[in-house]
Amino acid sequence: MAEQKTVVKTTGFVGPNSASDPVEIDIADGRPIRSRPLEYAKFATEDLNPWVIRARGGEFKAPEKSQPSLFGIAWKQRVDSPNRILHPMRRVDWDPAGERNPQNRGKSKYVRISWDEAMDILTSEVSRIKDQYGMNSIFVQSDGHHQVKIVHGARGCEGYALDLLGGYTLQARNPDSWEGWYWGAKHMWGQDPVGQGMQTNLFKDVAENSDDVLFWGCDVNTTTWGGGGQGSSRYCFFLRDIGVRQIYVCPDVNYGAAVHADKWIPVLPNTDAALQLAIAHVWMTEGLYDRDYIDTHAVGFDWFEYHVMGGDDGIEKTPAWAEPICGVPARRIKALARSWARRNVSIAHCNGGSFIRSTYSHEPARLEVALLAMQALGHPGRNQLKFMEFGLFGLDSQNPLPRPKFTPNMHDIMFPYHADKRESFVTEVLVPEALGGDYTPENPLTWYGVTCSGMPVADQFDLKRYPAEGCERIHMVWTDAPKWVSSWNGGNEFIDAIRSDYIETVVAQHIWMEDDCLFADLLLPVNTKFEERDIVCDTVSGAFSAVWLEEKATEPRGESLSDYEICVEFCRRMGVLDQYRNGEPIDETIRRGFEGSGCQWFTSFEEFEQNHGYLIPIAKNWEEDAPGFLNFYRDPEAYPLSTPTGKIEFYSQALAEHFPDDVERMPYPRWIEKGPWHPDERLTTPRAERYPFLMVSNHPHFRLHSQYDDAPWIREIPGCKVTGPDGYAYEPVWINPADAARLGIGDGDICRIFNDRGWTMGGAIVTERIMPQVVLQDHGARLDPIIPGVADRAGCNNTICPKHTASKNCCGEVTSGYLVGIEKVDVFELARQYPEAFSRPYDPETGTLHLQAMTADAE
Amino acid sequence: MKVFVFDAERCNGCHNCQVACKDEHVGNAWPPYAAPEPNTGQFWLRVLQREHGQIPMVKVEYTAWLCMHCERCVAAEACGSDAFARRDDGLVYIDPARCTGCMDCVPACPYEAVFANEEAGIAQKCTGCAHLVDEGRLPHCVDLCATGGLRFGDAEDFACELADAEVMRGELGTGPRVYYRNLPHLFLGGEVWDPQADEVIEGARVTLAAVGGVEAAQETDDFGDFKFERLDPGEYRLAIEAPGFKPVARDVVLEESTYLGDFPLERA
Repeated sequence: MAEQKTVVKTTGFVGPNSASDPVEIDIADGRPIRSRPLEYAKFATEDLNPWVIRARGGEFKAPEKSQPSLFGIAWKQRVDSPNRILHPMRRVDWDPAGERNPQNRGKSKYVRISWDEAMDILTSEVSRIKDQYGMNSIFVQSDGHHQVKIVHGARGCEGYALDLLGGYTLQARNPDSWEGWYWGAKHMWGQDPVGQGMQTNLFKDVAENSDDVLFWGCDVNTTTWGGGGQGSSRYCFFLRDIGVRQIYVCPDVNYGAAVHADKWIPVLPNTDAALQLAIAHVWMTEGLYDRDYIDTHAVGFDWFEYHVMGGDDGIEKTPAWAEPICGVPARRIKALARSWARRNVSIAHCNGGSFIRSTYSHEPARLEVALLAMQALGHPGRNQLKFMEFGLFGLDSQNPLPRPKFTPNMHDIMFPYHADKRESFVTEVLVPEALGGDYTPENPLTWYGVTCSGMPVADQFDLKRYPAEGCERIHMVWTDAPKWVSSWNGGNEFIDAIRSDYIETVVAQHIWMEDDCLFADLLLPVNTKFEERDIVCDTVSGAFSAVWLEEKATEPRGESLSDYEICVEFCRRMGVLDQYRNGEPIDETIRRGFEGSGCQWFTSFEEFEQNHGYLIPIAKNWEEDAPGFLNFYRDPEAYPLSTPTGKIEFYSQALAEHFPDDVERMPYPRWIEKGPWHPDERLTTPRAERYPFLMVSNHPHFRLHSQYDDAPWIREIPGCKVTGPDGYAYEPVWINPADAARLGIGDGDICRIFNDRGWTMGGAIVTERIMPQVVLQDHGARLDPIIPGVADRAGCNNTICPKHTASKNCCGEVTSGYLVGIEKVDVFELARQYPEAFSRPYDPETGTLHLQAMTADAE
Repeated sequence: MKVFVFDAERCNGCHNCQVACKDEHVGNAWPPYAAPEPNTGQFWLRVLQREHGQIPMVKVEYTAWLCMHCERCVAAEACGSDAFARRDDGLVYIDPARCTGCMDCVPACPYEAVFANEEAGIAQKCTGCAHLVDEGRLPHCVDLCATGGLRFGDAEDFACELADAEVMRGELGTGPRVYYRNLPHLFLGGEVWDPQADEVIEGARVTLAAVGGVEAAQETDDFGDFKFERLDPGEYRLAIEAPGFKPVARDVVLEESTYLGDFPLERA
C-alpha cells in the first residue's frame, strides 16, 4: 500500500504576505499525484460566516472550494522540468582568481562544481568586494513574482545576510503593474500605496448599483495568478446573470472579453487619453456631468476644462479630433459618453497592458480619475474596481470582497525590506544603466521616486542617485530573481550591461536554467516550494484569508537547497549565523511565524499544525463597510482624500511646484502625443514609417513572464504557441487579417518582430481579436538569444521595449504600446545564418533545453 | 446514470478541465480503468475554441470535448478484444489489461474521443475518472471547474436542465451522455447610424426573418447596435426601420457569425 498524504500549497504569485489559490496535493510514496481545489469547509475551526452578496434577485456566494488557475494545476510539472538546475555550476571561462571574461556571459558554458567549492567562491567574492570596493558594490536582485514563500525566501534572504556584513545595493521594487496609477493618479486622488481606487465592498456595490462596468484594458481571465484564480470570472458571470452590462475598452479581444464582453470598443494602444478627453468634451459641451460634485469635491477643474476646450493648445478635444487618434468613430465616442452619463458606471482593471504601462501612462490614469470625478466618484455604482490582488498590502481598503475578521501577517519572521532606510539602491527600471553605465559619485545616475513601490507620494519628489554618495559603483550581482530580461523594459540593454567589464561577478540562485541565469558566473540550485516546509499568509484569494502550513510535497531534486538554506550556509561561513534568524531551526521559525500571525488568538499551534492551516472567518459586520469612495462622496470634508487639499486635484499644486518645467507630466492631465522622453513612439510620428504597428503586450495569458513557459500541458493548449516548420514552438503574435493579407503573412507563419532596439520572433495568429495597425504578443517569454543583446527567438519582446521610462520624471516601465515592424521570415534561412542559436537542444514538450545547451559536460 | 453537463454560458475557456485531465492521468495508473496517458498530444478531454464574428463584435466559443459515454458505443462495437466495458452508472472505459492494441476503435469513434497510445500499445480515452467516482468524488476535470461550466452527476439530478440541452451529433443516435447547454450557435450583428449628424441611432427597429421560418425583432441599443444570437446557418432577410429615415433591407446567407458592419441610414 502506497504511503498517502495530502499537503496544502498556495499557487498564486503576488508577494510575500500575499499568497493565494491554495490547492490540496495528494501524494503517494513521495510523489505528487494530483492537485485539487482546497475544500474550505475542512479548514474552518469556528463559524466561518461564508459571505453572500445578494443583488437584483441573484446571489453570489463564497466558493466552497478554492478557485485555482491552470498554473496551480500544472505546478507539479515544473518540479521535474528538464531545465531544473540540479547542482552548483560555474561558467567555464570565469576564473575568480584570473580572467573573468565578462564579454562571454551568455555564450560560454558551465561546469558542475561541488557545493563546497561554490560556497568558497561566493564567500571569497563577497569578502573581496567588501575589501576592494565596499559592500554597496554588491547588487542584490530579489524581487518579482516569486513563488510565495516566507521562511525559505527568496525575497530578502541574501540581502539580509549581506546586511549583517555591512550592507548592499538594493534593486528597489518598482510599481510594475500599477505604473500610471502610481505616477499619475496618486497626484489627483492620493490613494497610497499604489494609486488605485478604494476597493472596500465594491463587489457588493457594483452588483447592487452599477448598470455598466467598463473593463478598460482589463482581462479578468488572464491575471488569474494574481489572486482570485477563476473567482473574478465567476463574478463576471454573476454580473451577466443580474443584468450588469460589461463593456471592454481595449485594442484586443482579450481572454476576458472573449467570453464576458457584452460590447467591445476597440481603441488603439495607448491612445485612451484621446478617447477620455473626447468623452469629457461631450460632457462639458452637453452639460452631462455633475458640476455640483466638482465644486465640492475637486479643485482645479477649470485647468482641465481649459485644456479640453483647447484653451492651452488651440485644439478642442472633440470626438472628431479623437477619432483618427484612437480609432474609435466619433459617433461611438458620443454614444459612450452619453450612455455613461445617464447610467451608473464603474471602471474595472486588472493592471498591465497598454492602458497603464506605456509611454506617459500617468495621463490615461489621471484622465480616468477625471472622468470618474465628473460622474461623482463614490456615488453608488460609480467607482474603480480591481479584479486581482484582493486585499493588496494587507489592506481592507484594497479588497472589494467581504473582508476577513483580521488580516494575518508574517512580519515577525520575514526579513525586513526597509528600502527607505538604505544607503544605496537602484530603481528596478534603471538597472541596465546602473550596471553598465559610466556613473560615478561625481557623475551619478539620478531619478525621482521609487525607493520602493507603495511609498507615499512625496517619494516622487525626491531626487535619488547612484552610486550613493561616497560609494563605489556596483561590481557584483547576487540575484535570486534572475529574470530581469523578461520582466522589465530594455532587456537587450540589460544583457549588454550584465556583460560589461564593470561587473566582475554574477551569482544567480534559481530553480531553472532560464533568462538571466544564462549570463551568470556562478549558479546555485534552488528548490521549488513543493520541496520545502513553509508557512504562508493567504490574503489575496478573493474568497477567504488563511494561514497555511505548507508541508513538503516531495524531496528536493539533485543538490538543490532553498534560498534560505543557501544563505544559512553563507552566514555560517561568514561567521554571522547567530544573527541570521538566530540560527534557529526552520520549524521554530514557522512556529514563531504562527505565533505572530494573528491566528494565535484563535487556535493553538498544535491545532494549526494538525489541520495544515487556519481559515479566517469573514467579519460579521462586513456589509456595514462603506463601499469604495462612498464616504468621500457623501462628505468630502469629513472623509478627505490623502491629496494636499483633501479633494480630487485636477490641478496638482505639488506637481507644479516640484516639476515646473515638466512638459510631459504637467500639473493637470493632458493628451501628450510626444515629448522629450518619447519623441517618436506613436503611429503619428516618423518612426512609424519603419515600424508601422503598435505592440500590445499584456500580462501573459499562458505564463507568468517566463515561468511556465516550459510547462508541457500549458504549451499544448491551442493558442499558447505556434509551431513553425522547424518544429520550434514560437510565441504567438496576433495580427489582424487585413494587415496580414497586406504583408503576405498567413496564419501560422513565423515572423520577425523588430524595431531599432533589436528583434524577436513570433508565430502569426491571424485573427479578428486584434485591431488593424496593432499586433499583440504577450511579454515575458523565456529568452532564447540569437545574438545576445540584439536578437531573440522566443518572443521575449521585453528586449525591444523602449528603454526610456514612462516620462522624464516618472520611472515607470514601458512594456506595451510601442512601435514595431513585423515581417514573415524563412526560419531555415535564419538557421543557416545563426546555426548555433537554431541548433540548441530542443524538447517539443518543454522548449529549448537551456541547461543542456549551456552545460560543458554534456559535450 | 451519470452524465456530464457542459454549459457554454458558464465556461470561461480557462482550460482547467483539460489540464486537470492530464494532472489525473499522466504518470498515474488507475486500474482497471486506465493506464497512464501520454504527457502531451492526446486529450481525453480537450477544450475546443471557435472564434465568432468580426471587429467589433467578436467572441470566442469554448467547448469541452470528451468521450460522450454513449449508450451505444460505436467504438466498443469495433473493438476486437472485448476491452470496452460499461459500468452500471453508464461510464464507458477501456480496460487496459484486455486491450490488445488493434486500435480499430480509434477511427470508429465518431467523436474522435479514443486515442492510440502507441508506446503502451493500447487504446485510451476518458474514463469519467471512474476511480474517483468509486470513492464518491467528482471527475478531476469537474472538480477543478470553478465556474460551473462542466458538471457531473446523476441524470435525474439534472433532469430539468437536460430538457433543453443538446448533444453532439445527435443524428447518429448513439445516445451520448455528455449534454451541452446554451451553445451560442451563430450571431448576426451590425450598427445603425445617421451619417448626416454623425450620430448612432438608438431605438431603430431591426427585424430578422429566416427564409421560410420565424421572425425576430429588436431595437438598436444606446450604441446603435443590434445583435441576433443563437441563430442557425441559413438564409435570412434583415430589415431596419427608424422614424425619419429610409428603411434598409438586406438578404443574408449566414454561414458563420457575422458582423454586417455599419448601416448609415438616409434621411427620409
